[in-house]
Amino acid sequence: MILLIALLSSVAIAFWPSDEHEGLVFWTFTRHHAQMYGPVIEDWNQQAEQADLEPIQMHVLSMGALNRRTQSGMWAKTPTSDLVEIERSSVAQFMAGPVDKVGFYDLTDRLQEEGIYDQINAPSFAPWSSRGRIFGLPHDVHPVLLCYRADLVEAAGIDVSNIKTWADFERAMAPLVSDLDNDGDTDRYALGLWYTAPQNVETLILQAGGGTFDEDGKPIIASEANARVIARMISWCVGPNRIAIDAPEFSPSGNELKLTGRVVAALMPDWLAGVWMNDMKDLGGKLKLMPMPAWEEGGRRTSVMGGTMLAIPKTTRDFDTAWTFAKELYLSEDLAEQLFVSNHIISPVVDLWDKPFYQEKQPFFSGQQSGLMYIEQAPHVPYRSSSPYHQIALQKMMDAASGLKDYAVKNNTYDPDALFPEAKRLLEETESLIKQEMSRNVFIAGQSAGGGGDE
Amino acid sequence: MSKSTARQYPAWVPYFFLLPFLSVFLVFIAYPMLLSATMAFQQNAGPGVSEPVGLKNFTWMLKDPAFWTAVKNTTIFAAASVFIQLPASLGLALLLNSERIKARGLWRMIFFAPVLVGLPFVAVLAGLIFEKNTGLLNVTLHWLFGFDVEFPWMQEFVMPALIVAAFWMYVGFNMIYFLAALQNVNKDLLEAAQVDGANAWQRFRNVTIPAIKPVAAFVILLSLIGSFQLFELPYLMLNETAGPENRGLTLVVYLYQQGFDRGDLGYASAVGWVLAIVLFGFAIIQRMTSKTSEADA
Repeated sequence: MILLIALLSSVAIAFWPSDEHEGLVFWTFTRHHAQMYGPVIEDWNQQAEQADLEPIQMHVLSMGALNRRTQSGMWAKTPTSDLVEIERSSVAQFMAGPVDKVGFYDLTDRLQEEGIYDQINAPSFAPWSSRGRIFGLPHDVHPVLLCYRADLVEAAGIDVSNIKTWADFERAMAPLVSDLDNDGDTDRYALGLWYTAPQNVETLILQAGGGTFDEDGKPIIASEANARVIARMISWCVGPNRIAIDAPEFSPSGNELKLTGRVVAALMPDWLAGVWMNDMKDLGGKLKLMPMPAWEEGGRRTSVMGGTMLAIPKTTRDFDTAWTFAKELYLSEDLAEQLFVSNHIISPVVDLWDKPFYQEKQPFFSGQQSGLMYIEQAPHVPYRSSSPYHQIALQKMMDAASGLKDYAVKNNTYDPDALFPEAKRLLEETESLIKQEMSRNVFIAGQSAGGGGDE
Repeated sequence: MSKSTARQYPAWVPYFFLLPFLSVFLVFIAYPMLLSATMAFQQNAGPGVSEPVGLKNFTWMLKDPAFWTAVKNTTIFAAASVFIQLPASLGLALLLNSERIKARGLWRMIFFAPVLVGLPFVAVLAGLIFEKNTGLLNVTLHWLFGFDVEFPWMQEFVMPALIVAAFWMYVGFNMIYFLAALQNVNKDLLEAAQVDGANAWQRFRNVTIPAIKPVAAFVILLSLIGSFQLFELPYLMLNETAGPENRGLTLVVYLYQQGFDRGDLGYASAVGWVLAIVLFGFAIIQRMTSKTSEADA
């Protein structure tokens, strides 16, 4: 009987009609994107009927599922999607092998030949490039500004135009770090960031001219800039002169801290501005944006956080249609407007930056022209590595930061200058570990960029 | 079985009935095992891209501090399972086996309930409990003792937090095994011991423990194997990371990171084989211990 059931069910499965995918399949990992893409896809599909083109079917998958399914499909050489959006923190896993074995189409030559490369903000290609080849169309730029509670700052008589560096910021905002309920504990902090949050650490080290790997793929983990930033971050997060609180994004506790005025300022990439506008409407009119304080006088006033690319897996059954759709979607003015209006994200297409929708005053940011402020900083976003070891290096740098925090507490040393030598030592250890790990990789050892595994 | 009965079936019939199992076993167990044994001596960027590396995966494993951190964390977790969780399960089982406890069925249900809701639920809930600022633990401790609400349990005490979450999940599960074993303890022996003047501790030590020993050995083996396969709990509680400084890194999380985050299925296979050998060792020890117990009996 069991055998009979097994046989019958096998036959049934073999002949069961599966869902036929009509057209090309497009995977994205967020509903925000899906909502924006809906009208563009609808238009495409209407035109597709008349022009005998493949229609597009969009699916929203959780990021983990999207990454695993894409990776599994590439490994097993089975079809997954025809177009897929990949987030910055996930891209490294797709770049680990030899460059010709990366599972996405190499778009470098097409981008150059079709003139698209010149239309797009150059730094936006970096995270999607490996060993000199580009594997995706950038969705965004994601410059970072500093967002602050204008109501609190102005009530305290602080003039933010005098804040040029992080040292200025510390001095100016110190009076706002206070015990609001007189219970002896500090309740309000000047900055919402933490040394264990990878995006916070990466944003600040990139701003300072540090990072994980340089453009040739060589590790720069133990750079002076990284050590300086990590030492300063620890002095912000622990000790008598603490000015920062851990107020994570997308968490009820983090949002509560922001809504109740316990966080005065936060690093604010354009996409996060959109999240705050949608999720924390009560802060509307109380916030303002300013360029990030620099690490030294005259230094860079912005950084970069997060990012997405649109890639075409090599398993697609119609590259040409997928590529045509990708360009129509990502280079479209309508989408750029949607992207900004719904999510406050500025397009990487430089030609669109003078469009009127970016000039509008935003009531949420107290009437500032926030779009324009982000665009002003967009060309200055720092280079970001796409090394397959980037995420590992970043994780280990945070471990070094945790180690430095323990050192600071144990030795009762919180001055960033005093912490600098230990920060440098910990980062040198980290870099050595990463180099050892890279030296194991037989696929990228000796390759010019993204590798550096010849140590 | 008589000869006439045996002749009723052709010789191939047993093999025919074994065929469904064998085909599934060969396709889904034997073949992947063989493949992973081969891959353990290769470096991969996905299954399609491989280079033979000899024993380098194993030698790197021995040198990699993260591997030893994973071994240490997994061992701590396993020790906590065996020395904290199982005695607690036994204690609960003894308590709920006592006729003096009222509504025993309800209590059993309450302690067993976390198993019914599943590990992901427990992991998410535990993550919320240990959260800074708004987590139930910190808020309660702050309210009671003025404890620092910002205390980062999931950064400073990752393994204890995982152990507490696993304790909540599995204490009731293992209790059921012990409860079943306790209900099979010969009551005549217990009464005879009592008549002979044995106190409660002596009865427990000399009658109950020997009677439940096979079940206890089995539960210990299950706990060890489960502990060495710990994955979902840290993966979910630590947001798909191993926590700061790999404080929540377990062997299977390490294997997963290497195989699926870094794409080196060869190295992950090598880790898997080391893990399999360790678990096989535990199973052998359990078998030997059981045989010794049976011989003693």
